[in-house]
Parts: sequence; structure tokens; C-alpha cells
Amino acid sequence: MTRGYYWLIFGLSIPAFIWLVPTIWMVSLSFQPNDLLARTTSSTALGLIPFPFTPDNYIALFRFGQVPMWFLNSLIVSVGMTLAVLAVSTTAGYALARLDFPFKTPIIILCLMGLMVPEQAVFIPLYTMFSDWGWHNSHHALILPRVAVPIGVFLMMQFFKAIPKDIEEAARIDGVGWLQIFWYVMLPLARPAMMTLAILTFLYAWNDYLWPLVSAQQREYFTITLGLASIQSNFAQAEGLGRVMASGVIASLPVVVLFLIFQRYVVRAMTAGGTKG
Amino acid sequence: MKRMIFGATALTLLATSAVAQDVTLGRFFGDCEDAGTDTSASVGEACIIQSIINAADAELDGISVNTLPTDWGNYYDQIVAAYAGGTPPNVHVMHRHRVPEFANIGALADLTDDLEGAGIDPSDWEPAALEAVTYNDRIVGVPMDLHANLWHVNMDLMEAAGLVEDGAPILPTSPEEMLEHARAVQEATGQDYLAADFAEFPIGVRVALALIWQQGSNIFDGDTATIDTPETRNAISAITQLFDAGLSNPQLNYADSQQAFLNGEAAVLVNGTWVVDFYAAEAARDDEGLNSYHVADFPTLFDEGATWADSHMWAIPSPLQASDPDTYDAALQVLAFINEHNIDWARTGHMAVRTSVLESGDYAALPHRSEYAGTADIARDTPPSRRYGAIQDVLNRELQAIWLTGKSVDAALADAQADVQDLLDR
Amino acid sequence: MTRYQGTRLALTQRQAAAILLLPFLTVYAVFLVYPFFKGVWISLHDWNLMAVAFNPDAKSYVGLSNYERVMWGSNITWGAWASPGYQFFGLLGLGTSVLLYRTGRAGKVTALAIGIASLLLFVLPGFHPGEDGRWYDRRFWPTVGNTILFVGLAVPGVTITAMLLAAALDGETRAKAVLRTLFFLSQVLSVTVVTLIWQIMFSPRQGLIANVTELVGGSPIVWLTAEGFAMASIVIATIWWSLGIAMILFLAGIQDISKDLYEAGALDNATGAKAFWYITLPNLKRTITLVVVLQIILHFQVFGQSHLMTNGGPNDTTQVLVRYIYQTAFRDSELGRASAMAVFLFVIMGGFSILQFVLGREKDQ
Repeated sequence: MTRGYYWLIFGLSIPAFIWLVPTIWMVSLSFQPNDLLARTTSSTALGLIPFPFTPDNYIALFRFGQVPMWFLNSLIVSVGMTLAVLAVSTTAGYALARLDFPFKTPIIILCLMGLMVPEQAVFIPLYTMFSDWGWHNSHHALILPRVAVPIGVFLMMQFFKAIPKDIEEAARIDGVGWLQIFWYVMLPLARPAMMTLAILTFLYAWNDYLWPLVSAQQREYFTITLGLASIQSNFAQAEGLGRVMASGVIASLPVVVLFLIFQRYVVRAMTAGGTKG
Repeated sequence: MKRMIFGATALTLLATSAVAQDVTLGRFFGDCEDAGTDTSASVGEACIIQSIINAADAELDGISVNTLPTDWGNYYDQIVAAYAGGTPPNVHVMHRHRVPEFANIGALADLTDDLEGAGIDPSDWEPAALEAVTYNDRIVGVPMDLHANLWHVNMDLMEAAGLVEDGAPILPTSPEEMLEHARAVQEATGQDYLAADFAEFPIGVRVALALIWQQGSNIFDGDTATIDTPETRNAISAITQLFDAGLSNPQLNYADSQQAFLNGEAAVLVNGTWVVDFYAAEAARDDEGLNSYHVADFPTLFDEGATWADSHMWAIPSPLQASDPDTYDAALQVLAFINEHNIDWARTGHMAVRTSVLESGDYAALPHRSEYAGTADIARDTPPSRRYGAIQDVLNRELQAIWLTGKSVDAALADAQADVQDLLDR
Repeated sequence: MTRYQGTRLALTQRQAAAILLLPFLTVYAVFLVYPFFKGVWISLHDWNLMAVAFNPDAKSYVGLSNYERVMWGSNITWGAWASPGYQFFGLLGLGTSVLLYRTGRAGKVTALAIGIASLLLFVLPGFHPGEDGRWYDRRFWPTVGNTILFVGLAVPGVTITAMLLAAALDGETRAKAVLRTLFFLSQVLSVTVVTLIWQIMFSPRQGLIANVTELVGGSPIVWLTAEGFAMASIVIATIWWSLGIAMILFLAGIQDISKDLYEAGALDNATGAKAFWYITLPNLKRTITLVVVLQIILHFQVFGQSHLMTNGGPNDTTQVLVRYIYQTAFRDSELGRASAMAVFLFVIMGGFSILQFVLGREKDQ
């Protein structure tokens, strides 16, 4: 550790702090009383320190309002989507990577082409389809479109391809069926890749905005991300800045915690999604 | 056969009294969590409407009302999406100007023959209100108010500038006079004369429209756009002269312009009837900023009085009328309840729609009411059009281009003219 | 091994594959392939969202007229200097790509990609309405232009910042790991939280930035409604938000560079900034291209920042393509036109996706 190293860390701490300021400010505002914020947002240290301090915004958030319900919706949608993506991606990924069957290459190419279609290119037809089926304002309407995006299949396919063949062959010689091999041999091996895919999907589901915006018209089916948007555009007349900020903090908490715990996987997910995606 | 229907109805009645009929209700106006059921105590649009809805939920037997509030910004996007998705709320609020867009394709239930039965008397509605909810001679909604642009005045600033006479503000009668007043306020107090949302919602558009109407012109006539006219130029220069002289700030959005007025940084705020009770309450608070609040009719700067106006009204989707008579009846009862509480809604500052309410002593006694008594007579809007929203959007964009980005009036009006003509041709 | 098949095992390989593939292929066909073609089909119709919902026959086939109405106009002509700003950069890019290829500083694909993009940048802005002519939809191309401008500001902003940070933060120490986490943290926030924070940050009355400017005696900037600042505001918020992925990709790229190179460099006195310039940068070429393409795809789809922070204003200066599609479909109920724009978006995105795929392949070789 040279002196240059400490200078570097010190020099980077300043931009890192500036980088954090908006987040700190949000948290700090969420702990200040609303009638104070109506007058000034910079009472103590430019508002970066929550003084005068009050937990009222959070109490109110859970007593009234729909934030808890939105939170639950987000949880259902995100977990549901993650499980569904894992299910279809691992199965299809394994089949495409390790099994031999007719039309394999055309199927792979077909799936690959799906990666080129952005969400925005299909959200209008999806909307009309779900309208015809009466599917809007439901959890599955928020989950299903993303399950069809083939990125997970490719991540899993790449992973399964890299597993040595002899593990599988040993099992085959013992007479184990393909599905059993998949379930008892391959899936346990695939745990790290599944973790990566799960986190990638969960983050996407939690933060998705455009599709919930068109599909969920009733607040009962809003996700927290969508709900937050609706609070925001109201805040001129709404419950007050502190409450809005508290909602923002609550909406961010799960993803931030998830990130801090699984940082390793998130980083890997981003790299994998970035290079192969 | 007849008996069978009778029996079925009786059964349904039994069923409805046993299980509460759920009515979903879509509205904007914002959230109010603690509204309670006292319709005479709540303050502000959000809380007053929610207290009326809560009271309906509590007092109407066998009906439970489930409010689905939506934010302003996306309300119509979401209502359209809900209709298209086959899941519109059972009753929902809307503006008069949106009626052609929805009624044109038969989306709104024709209430004409069912109102009396539900205890709603259309003959009690003011002619303007009745017209607001009528499409092709059929009644497609229950009007709730008439709302219009007003001049909200800070009397302390006006007083300091010598612009008060007999306890009322002196209002300009020409663009030139307005500039003089603005200068006087600036010199006496250092504050701006006029504030309004010129940067976000189409409130600036409504100011310009009023000034256009005051000259007997309009932005379109039948299928022909008539935007690029001398009258429009006059209207625009009446506004921009204040910006150019630094007597008004066009960059304030809705929240900021309101905050500026409440902080005592502007003598006049142009905003709607919906904030009268809120500003009165703010002025009554013992703090800095606005202390002496007065409301005035939109002044006549040209030949005839005119101010932008619209109506809030309640509608029921036609599929509900066709397929679910029980819920339809329950929805009508909710509308009757809201119609019954017209006076409570008027406490926001909005003008009531029922003649019996308008003539009541309670109505006249509402705070500041007498100060804008003339507004109902000068209330105007552009001709009905299925493209109203899009046309407003064009105007908002081009007017903002003039005062926020320095686009030339010639170019902006030529573009607006072409765009609106396009919309009318579609 | 194959002789066991059919005798001791219940399922053949084909059957197993069918069972394993079926769930995904079903979902894929129903929720992606079919909607995609339906989208193209809708774009060929005059299709009012509300009217069709009430009467399924209210749509009518109009061929390509939606595309014409959106993208074309009357009396459109082409000139080499109709829009000098864009076209100059187009020519510049064209020259650069040739130069890069000739000098061997860029691969064939990269040079070709830059070349094609530059050619489009030169050709497309050249179209303009001639005398008495006009665009049928005056807002479409400016909206595309705004989107490109947004991409053009956000992508270099993110890429350069991320690359510098990655170079500085590469290493195993604890302090660096903590700093990496801090810079990455904002990436996991949702767009609505990001816009919520920055809307208030930028507010001229309540904003932190305004508070600071007032503290030092300046008068606050009205960020979100001032023409010159609105786009800058959403770009700043975007850089703050989406720096993380790029930084991680660069870190991965830097770790791939052989340590021997740095040791050899150190002998030649190349450390710190010098090492970055002469060793890191040349070896990061492929990562840079990849990050840039990835960011272009990501940011071309910008919606939330514009929709929530500025409402596309003032005067449409922050109106972006996806928001225009959303509004055309759900505010104006014009599904046909909106779908035509969506197809346009797909073509552009598809082009970049192919590029990304090809570049990814190059890496594998």
C-alpha cells in the first residue's frame, strides 16, 4: 500500500460521496416532518441530516395508503416471474444444450431472433391480446410477457454446454432417464447460473415500468414501481414530500438489500447479461 | 312470462339486500386517506369528493363503493385502456370536453330514461350543465360542477401598489393597462404581478384561449382551424409583454406557480375554481406569505367577457347498462347520492350545477362566492371535438415554445395551425 | 449408449427434449412471436383502440399508409446540407470509419458499423420538406432526433465515467470493493425511484441543487422546464442511474488484460495515467465497443425519465420515441400509427442487436 494508493482512495471518496448524496437526501427527507418540508428542504446541513426527526411518514405509509399492497404485488409478480423464468429457462436451456433432436438448429436460431425484439415493439399487440382475453389487472398478466423473453434460455444453454459430458454419460450407462438426469444431476450443478438468472429476473420484475403501466389500470394491481410513479405525478397536492420519499425508500429497500447480500451474483449476472444478452 | 320476470326481479332484490352490491368508482382529484364520512367538514377536492363517496358507501343500503383513484397525469390513458380492456370502473368521473371522444363510439351509458327513477331530476340542472352531459340529445352523464379560470388575488400586494378600491382589486381592462398594473406592483413590492402554470399543464393555453374568445375569435370553426389570426397574436402578446418586461415568470410549473402565490411572490395567480377553499385556508394561517386573499372573475382585456371553463361529470360505461342491471342500478344510486351532495362539492370553490343549490342561502354563504359571481356568465370552451385532448396538447406545446424556448410567434402559430388542421381532418 | 434407448428407458431423447422444450416454446410463441407479427399486422390498419374495443370491425386495412403518415410528408426533397449539424457528423463518422479501418485500429465489423451509422446520419437528416411541403407528422423525426441526442449524450457520459472508475477501482482491496459497491448501488433502483429523487433534486424551489446554488449566491436554474437544461437533466439522472453495469463490464474487461503487460509497462515507466493510456485503453477496445452498443440499445428505449421528469417538455425537447409510441397508442388511441412507430423502433434495435451479437461472437473466437 503506497501513499499513492491512499491518495487514490481519498480522491475517489469525494465523487463516491457525491454519488451517494441523492440517495442520502431521499432517506433524510423521508424522516422529516411534512409541514417543515413544505417550507424548506434544507433545514439541517442542506437537508442531508434528518433533523427535526420523525418516523411519522413511515407510520402513515403503513397505516393508510396502498404502499403495502403495492409492495405485496411487486413481491408476488417478482417472485412469480423469477420462478417461471427459471422453470422454462432451465428446461429449455438443457434440452438445447445437451439433447439431440430434429430441427435443433432452427429452433435455436428462432429463439435467438427473439432477443432482437424489444419490449416496446410488442407491448401494443400484447395489450390488445390481453384485452381480448380479459387478462388485464391480474398478476399473471404482469408476469407472462417477460417469461417469453429468451435471454434466460441462452444463459442456461451456455452454462449447460460448459458442463463436462462424462457426468451425464455415467448416469446414462446406469440407465437413468433424461428427465431424471436433468432433475437430479444437471439442476444441482446449475445452481450458480440459476442464481444469476434469478437475480437478473427479480431486479427486472421489480423495476419494470412500461408494461405494468399499460396492463394494470386498477391500483389494486399496481406494483410498487408503478404506484410510486402515480404518487409522484400527484405530489403537488399529495400527502407531502416526506411521505413520497418514504415510499421511495420502501420501494428500494428490497432490491438494495438483495443487492448487498448477493452482490457477487449480481455482478456476474450483469456481466453475463451484458456480453451474451 | 311477466310473472317470471317479476319473480326474477324479486329474487335479485333479495339477493342484493343480502350481499352488498359492489360498485367500483374511478376518479382523479388526488388521494385523501382520512376523509371520513362528514361531507361538510372536509377541505380540498380530494378530501371532499372522498368524504362524499365514503358517505355513499356508509349510507346507501346494500351498496359498497370501492374507489379506484388514479393520478391526474395518466387518468385518461388509463380509462381508455380500461375501456379497451373491458374492465372500466362502474362509474367514473370525466370532463365535459371528453364526452365526444367516449360517446361517439357508444362507450357511455344513455341515462336519459333512468335518471328520474334513480331520484335525479335533470330539470334542476342549469342549462349549461345539462348541455355538458348531453350528446346527440341523450344524457350520458351526471354533471357535478362548472369550473373555470379565476384570478386569485393577493390583496396585500395589490394594496401596496394602489390597486384596491372599495375592498376589491382593480383589474385591468386592456392589455396596456395590465402592463401598467404589473409595473406598479413591481415598483411597490418588487414582486411579480402574474403567476400561472405556463410550463406544464395547459393553464397558459386557457389564459390565451380566454383572450382569443374575448375578441370574438376561436381556434377552430367546424372543420377549419383558425389559429393563425390577428386575434391570437393579440392574445399572445398580451401575455408575453409581461414575460418580456420581467413581470411574470413563464418557467413556473403548476406546483411552483402555486407556491409562488402562496409565498406572497405574485399578486395574481391564474388557476381554477378548485383551489378557492384551499387558498382561503392557506391565507387564514398565521405565517408569512399570502394573508389577504380575494377571488375575482377573469378580467375582460378586450371586447367581451370570456374565461375558460369545463365541467366535471360522472358517467357509467354502456357495457354495464347492457349486461349487469343490478350493478347499473347501484351505480345510478351512487350518482344520485353525489348529485344530492352538490352543495358539498361546491365548497371546493366549483360552481354548483343544480338550480336549487345555486339559489340556496347555503351556497351564497360559501366563502368568496360573491367575488366571482360573474364567472358563470362568461364561461366558455372550444367547440366539442373528439380530438380535444390532442388539440390542447398542440396548443400547449406551441405556446410553451413561444414563451419558454423563444420560438417565433409566426412559426409557432403556423405549426399549430397545420397540426390542429391535421387533427380535425382525421 | 444408444442401445439402451427404448429398452430400459421410458423416454427417448426426442421425447425428453419435447417435454423440456414445450413450456418455453409455448410461452415464446404465444407471448413473443405471435405478438410481434400481430404488431406488424396492426401497423397496416387504421385501428382506434377504443372503437375497436367496442366494435371489432371498426378497423380497416390501409396498407403502408400509417408508415407514410408517420415518416413521410408532402414535397419531401433531399439536400446535402439540409441539416448541417447532423450531416457534418455523419460525414465525419464516415471518414473516421475509413481511416480506422485503413490504419487497422478497428476491426472490419466495427468499421462497417460506424460507417453504416454515419451514412444514415448523413443521408436521413438530408430529407426535408421542399417549398409548400411539410411532414405529415411534424413531431416524429424531431422525436427520433431527441432520442438520438439523448443516446448521444448518455452513452459517452456513461462509458467514459464508467471506464475511468473501473480503471481506478480495479483491485482486491477492501476500500476499493466498498467504493465499487457505492458506485454500483444506484443501478438497482427502479426508474420511478430515480426520477423521484432527481425531480426533487432539480426542483428550483425545493431542490438540493437549487439550495446549493443559493448558498453560493447564484440564482437557481429551472432545470426541468428550461429548454437548454431539460435534456441535460434527464441525461444526468440517467448517467447516475446506469453507470453500474458499464463499470462492471469494464472491470471484467480490465481483469482480462494480462498482468504481464503492466509489469512490462512499469519497466518502461508507464504507470498510473500513462499505463491507462498505453496499456489499458488499447486492450479494452472490444469491451468499449460492447459497452457502447449495449448502452445504445438500452438508452434508445428510454421512457420513464422523459415521461416522469419532464413530460417530454418543454416544447417537446425531451420527447422520446417510446413515449411517443405510448402516447399515440394510449392517449390518442391510434394503435395503427403507434405500431408503425414500434416497427420502426424494432428495425433500429434489431440492427444494433445483430451488431452486438456479431461483436460478441468476435470475442469468442
